[in-house]
Amino acid sequence: MPPATLPDPWSDVLGSDLEPRRREEVLAAFADVLAEIEKLRALDLTDVHPCIIFEPTAPYRLPEGS
Amino acid sequence: MELWQTPIPTLARRIRAGKLSPVALAEHCLERIHRLDPKLQAFIHVSDTVLTQAAKAEEDIRAGRWKGPLHGIPVAIKDNYFTADMPTTVGTTSPGFSYPLRDSAAAGRLRAAGALLIGKTRTHEFAWGNVTPPSRNPWDLDRVPSGSSGGSGSAVAAGLCPAGMGSDTGGSIRMPASVCGTVGLKPTFGRVSRDGIVPHSWSLDHPGPLTRTVADTAVLMQVLAGYDPRDPACQDRPVPNYTAALGKPVKGLRVGVCRNHFFERNDTDVEAAVEQAISDLAAAGATIREFEIPRLQYGLAAIFAIELASSTAYHDMSLKAGRVKHYTPDVRTLVEMGRFVTAPDYLKAEQIRTLLMQDFAHAFASVDVIVGPTMPITAWKCGEWTVKVEDRDESVLSASWRFTFPYNLTGLPAISVPCGFDRRGLPIGLQIAGRPFDEATVLRVAHAYEQSHEWKDRTPPIAH
Repeated sequence: MPPATLPDPWSDVLGSDLEPRRREEVLAAFADVLAEIEKLRALDLTDVHPCIIFEPTAPYRLPEGS
Repeated sequence: MELWQTPIPTLARRIRAGKLSPVALAEHCLERIHRLDPKLQAFIHVSDTVLTQAAKAEEDIRAGRWKGPLHGIPVAIKDNYFTADMPTTVGTTSPGFSYPLRDSAAAGRLRAAGALLIGKTRTHEFAWGNVTPPSRNPWDLDRVPSGSSGGSGSAVAAGLCPAGMGSDTGGSIRMPASVCGTVGLKPTFGRVSRDGIVPHSWSLDHPGPLTRTVADTAVLMQVLAGYDPRDPACQDRPVPNYTAALGKPVKGLRVGVCRNHFFERNDTDVEAAVEQAISDLAAAGATIREFEIPRLQYGLAAIFAIELASSTAYHDMSLKAGRVKHYTPDVRTLVEMGRFVTAPDYLKAEQIRTLLMQDFAHAFASVDVIVGPTMPITAWKCGEWTVKVEDRDESVLSASWRFTFPYNLTGLPAISVPCGFDRRGLPIGLQIAGRPFDEATVLRVAHAYEQSHEWKDRTPPIAH
C-alpha cells in the first residue's frame, strides 16, 4: 500500500527547509557544482573502495577521561 | 636587517644568548600590530598576556630553562584554534556559538615549547572561503590576502609577528601564503593534531604554519608534528629532524611536473615565474620528470561533494535553528547547498579520491617531489568575484584553489614558497608537494630554491 501522501523531496527526503525563493537562489549557485558532480555520477567506480576506513580500535586509543 | 625581518633561528640564537629580550621582541611586535593592523585588519584579538608570557620566558631562559628555538618567539593563532587565554570566534558574529577557553593541541604544543601566543588572526567565517574579510593584503591594501587563513598570511607578510598558524581544507594555508608572499606548509593529513580546531570538513582539514622563511617553518613543524590520540586521524610515527633536512642541495633529486591540470590555465606572469623556477631547479642539478594525472578532472567534483556535505553536517543544528541567516551570505549559501549533495555523490567522491591517491602514489614512484604553481592567479581586488585567467572570466572560487585542493584530497604534504612577482608587483607562489610524511624532502627543496633566490628579501612597502 503506498502512503496517502508522498514525502516531500526537499524537506523530507533531502532535509532542506529552505523557502521556495531561497531554494531557487541556492540551486542557482549549486548549478556549477552539480555540473562537476555529474561527471562523477557518469563514472563506473563499482570496484573501487571509497577512501573511508572503518577503524574499530580508535576509541581504545583515547586517554582516560577524554 | 630589522628585527621584524629576522628569521626565527637567528632570533632564537640571540634570545638564548641573552642578546635579545623576549619582552623587547614582544613589544616590537605589539608596536607593529598597533601601528599597522588598523590598515591590515589581520588580528581579531591581541593577547593581553603576551608581555607576561614574554617576561616568564625571559626569566626561564636566564635561569637556564631554555625550551628550544621557539622559546620567546611570538606566534599568532588562527581564530579557529581554541586557546586558553583568548576567545575563539571562527570569524562569525552569528549568535548561538561559544567555544571553550582551552588550548587546542597545536596551541598547547607551541606554548609548551615557549612560544608567545600573541593574538588570534582573522579567518574567513568558519574557515569556509578564500577572502577573509576585512583583512587586507600588505602588498596592496585594495586586494585580498586570500583565505581562509588570510589574517595569518597578512600578519606574517607585514612583519607583525614571525609566524602564524593556519588551517587548510582546500588551500587555506597555501593560498594566503601565495598571494601574501610568505611560506605556508600544509603537512600530511595526520602529521599535526586537529584537536581543538573547529572542524570544517573532517577528512580535509590540515593545521599548519605560515612563516617568512622555510627554516622558520621547519622550526615550527618540529614542535607541531607528533601523535595525539585525541585526533582520530593523527598517526603515531617518528618525527624527523626537519631542520637537518635544510641546506642539502637538490642535485640528484627527481622533480615531477604534472603537466595537465596544473598548467592548463594560468595567468601569464604566474606561468612564466613557475616555468623559470622549474628551469632553476634543473640548473641546480635536479632531474625534471613530466607526467600527467588525467583523473584530476574529477577532483573539483570530489572536493565539492566532500567539503559541502561535511560542512552542512557540521552546521546541521544551525540550519535547523535558523542561525545560518546570521552567517555571511557566501558562507550561508555554501552551508545550505550541502543538502543537495547526495550520499552516493559523497561516496563516489571518496571513491575517486582513492584513485587519485593511487595516481599520485604511482607518480611518486619515480619522483621525489612534484612542483607547480600554488595558484593560477595573484591577489585579486576586494569585492571581485570573477577574475580573468588567459582571457577567460572565471569565478574566484573555482580558480583560486584549483592547484591546492588535489593535495587536500590526497592528504599529501605541500608547501607554497615565493617564486616571483607579477607585473603589478604582487607575489607568486611555487607549490612543492611530497610523499606522505615526507615533509623533510619538501622542506629541503623549498629551502634550496628559497636560498638561491632573493624573493624572501622583498617586503611589502607597508611593512617599512
